[in-house]
Amino acid sequence: MTDNPRTLWLAILPVLLIIAPVLPGLYWALSPAWEAQVWQQLWLDPQLPQALESTLISSLLGSFLAALSAATLAMLIYPSALWIRLQRHLALLLSVPHAAFAVGMFFLLSPSGWLARAIAPVLGWVSPPTWISVQDPFGLSLALALAIKESWFLLWVLMALLGEQAVSRQMLVARSLGYGRLQIWRAVLWPQLLPRLAWPMAAVLAYGLSVVDMSLVLGPGTPPTLAVLVWQWLIDANPDKQALGAAASLLLLVLLLAVGGFARLAWLVYRRQKKQHLPTGKRQPRAAPAWLKLHIPLLGIGYLVVALLLLWSLAGPWFFPDFWPQSLTLRSWQGLNWQPFWTTLWLATASSVLCVATTLVWLEWGPKRFNGIIYLPLIVPVLPLVAGQYAALLRLRLDGQALGVLWSHLLMVLPYTLLTLVGAYRAFDARLMTCARALGHSRLSACLQLKWPLLQRPIAACLAIGFAISVAQYLPTLFAGGGRFATVTTEAVALSAGGNRRVLAVQALLQVVLPLAAFALAALWPRFNSRNRLGLR
Amino acid sequence: MKKILILSFLSFAIHAQAQTQTPLSVDWQKIQAQARGQTVYFNAWGGSEVTNAYIDWAAKEVKSRYGVALRHVKVTDTADVVKRVQTEMAAGRVKNGSVDLIWLNGENFGHLKNANLLYGPWAETLPNWGAVDLNKPVRSDFSVPTDGLESPWGTAQLTFIADKKTTVMPPHSAKEWLQFAKANPGRTSYPKPPDFHGTTFLKQLLIELTPNPVLLQQPVNAAVFKTATAPLWDFLDQLHPLQWREGKAFPASAAAMHRMLADGVLRLSLTFNPNEAANLIASFQLPASAYSFGFTAGTLGNVHFVAIPINAKAKAGAQVVANFLLSPEAQARKADISVWGDGSVLDVAKLPAALQASFAKKVPGALLVSVPLLAEPHASWVDALEAEWLKRYGSN
Repeated sequence: MTDNPRTLWLAILPVLLIIAPVLPGLYWALSPAWEAQVWQQLWLDPQLPQALESTLISSLLGSFLAALSAATLAMLIYPSALWIRLQRHLALLLSVPHAAFAVGMFFLLSPSGWLARAIAPVLGWVSPPTWISVQDPFGLSLALALAIKESWFLLWVLMALLGEQAVSRQMLVARSLGYGRLQIWRAVLWPQLLPRLAWPMAAVLAYGLSVVDMSLVLGPGTPPTLAVLVWQWLIDANPDKQALGAAASLLLLVLLLAVGGFARLAWLVYRRQKKQHLPTGKRQPRAAPAWLKLHIPLLGIGYLVVALLLLWSLAGPWFFPDFWPQSLTLRSWQGLNWQPFWTTLWLATASSVLCVATTLVWLEWGPKRFNGIIYLPLIVPVLPLVAGQYAALLRLRLDGQALGVLWSHLLMVLPYTLLTLVGAYRAFDARLMTCARALGHSRLSACLQLKWPLLQRPIAACLAIGFAISVAQYLPTLFAGGGRFATVTTEAVALSAGGNRRVLAVQALLQVVLPLAAFALAALWPRFNSRNRLGLR
Repeated sequence: MKKILILSFLSFAIHAQAQTQTPLSVDWQKIQAQARGQTVYFNAWGGSEVTNAYIDWAAKEVKSRYGVALRHVKVTDTADVVKRVQTEMAAGRVKNGSVDLIWLNGENFGHLKNANLLYGPWAETLPNWGAVDLNKPVRSDFSVPTDGLESPWGTAQLTFIADKKTTVMPPHSAKEWLQFAKANPGRTSYPKPPDFHGTTFLKQLLIELTPNPVLLQQPVNAAVFKTATAPLWDFLDQLHPLQWREGKAFPASAAAMHRMLADGVLRLSLTFNPNEAANLIASFQLPASAYSFGFTAGTLGNVHFVAIPINAKAKAGAQVVANFLLSPEAQARKADISVWGDGSVLDVAKLPAALQASFAKKVPGALLVSVPLLAEPHASWVDALEAEWLKRYGSN
């Protein structure tokens, strides 16, 4: 395509505005880590070895299990009616923010949790058992929660990829040729999907390495995971500790690069092996094992968690070993302050709309090779990034301003909108655009009248994802907003320090409701818009 | 009878006069005039609904009385605010800072004061300073002189909580705590330092166990630290294996301890507010059988304050708010157990009788007997204790 420099710059400018200020900010925020002495101090910290261990176990095991269960589930049921139904379930489950999910898992798994309460009468327990089922020293409960939560995200990504016309047609062709489900996955689908799953997997891994809110609830405490240590150090009033935090956040980045490099190597080895067994033409029409109902536990835990949050938000007195609250009351809902809800709503709406617009312009007119730059915020652990944003905002005098908070959200939302849209955009049949241009449309009018309307499903999904990402932002909102912008998420985390499960459950549920509404709209709007067009559904 | 009537009339008249003729200095009138229309960003811990509701009430009052808009910035850890002020100043933002008023005490005050990041002195020029109880440690914060840089807001005292159903005889000293832990293996713990409550528990043990407690009032030095804390580490070495998860893990906060007490995971919890157990019972977070107790020889207590950062934008508004928070009406409301139950910093005897009654209310669950108040060690002990604790017990 012949790009004229003016449109190229028009595509680059918004992205630059969103990303560029972070670079000097990162320099300001991380400069304390340039001294060798700080690193020496970090190596000598007695908490480091165990913190590293629990971080690696929880993030690697969590990401691996998430990928494994998402892949297994897709192979078992795509394509089928169940796969279609699964999409609707995922819309709900994806709306459960990480913090809320962790709280729910804690309600479920802890020694005084619902599971223990369920078996207490059988075993005659009066006091909770002395199990270590949460906050275990290796971070296993954290890994489990990450695995379930992230498997939903990966399934969502898989659905977007598999929903593309080209992929589903290939499946149709392969099946009509008599190949079995697993055979098609191995020979046709995975080789196409895996490269496109690389970035989502990197995002999952980066998230697992630097997650703070879930680690606080489910992770070990003595010592905590590396991300929590970084967070504690970065907010410490002592400048030596802040330097330690800057160095440790660089260490998180190194860990991610190491794991990413290793995965890349594994991929190259797999590709070389794969060439040796191309399809031989032998049909293996073996069906997937019908007894393996993986979707039941994967979805069931999600619903159980939401149900537990709902129950706690309505509970009167409720003490171990009671399986059910002594009474139900609306008290926790009646005392609700709606201000954070509205703040969350405008922030999420504005940032998702701006990011999707930026993404569309970038994908259409921007330089194709530089998507990686936009993905950087996914890869750089969130803590130094937020510190860098804050340092930049301070110098621009935008901290504590609505514009500053919005900007801090844009940076976090943009990589996800690009990630969800890039696949569908690439898979778009270029011949349609060529036709439109040949019929005399300008590129812009071809986009407005043909390409973007045809892509309305992925665009709507993209808006919803952006919205959900914005709702879940904690650290950016807090730092950039000078603590002045209370959202449902900052409220929930502030309340989690106080420890009233009921009010916490209310805020967690509100956190669920907002993205849920966005996902519902994203599912309904294209459906409504294309009710007379079979192929668009 | 007549005499009494006359006397009471006289005292009423005096009160009425005191109320109407509060002599406002010219300076204070100027400050009030400046404050009108200002927005005060009050950075205060936001983890408790009773506290948040109280600040909401104060915001409505200062708005209608003085035209000051009070915004509660809910903070999870006051150290964040210290960091914020430091960062702003380091970035050259020497006025129009984002923080106008901070709720703080102890090492957070020490850090800000040492770095000359506090505006003042102003606290003792507030009109309501007159009723402050000077017998309480309102002029020194963890042995660091406040020098008028912060205004007292409330008092607190380390108080323990247990449940009558499981614990009839609670421990009343450090030694008895150890015996209790032996009799209830795996059912005691304390919040992990540097959590504020965890560090307070360490200091409580230290005061009881150290050979010469007077030394704790001086700034710490390495030699004194070693001898003074040796009995504490001995004690903890014995205690930890008897604790929840054999002392290899600790609850994150006092709030987590309350949850664990309610669930029966732990037998004892602790708080810095003698009325907290009563509040928690009222909000269903503790069973009605929960009760408060202290140590026979006394427990650690201190005063918490509000301070104004040097780069605050609404300095006048912040002082007007601080003065309102110190008023008899605001202090009585705060001490009311059905509102918050936080101890007053005023000399109750100096207040009108009608207000005195609300200070005296008692409810089940709250601390009913008075426990002697022990003074905080010098603020410099906090960092030293936390660092040594982390070195010894921070990883398994």
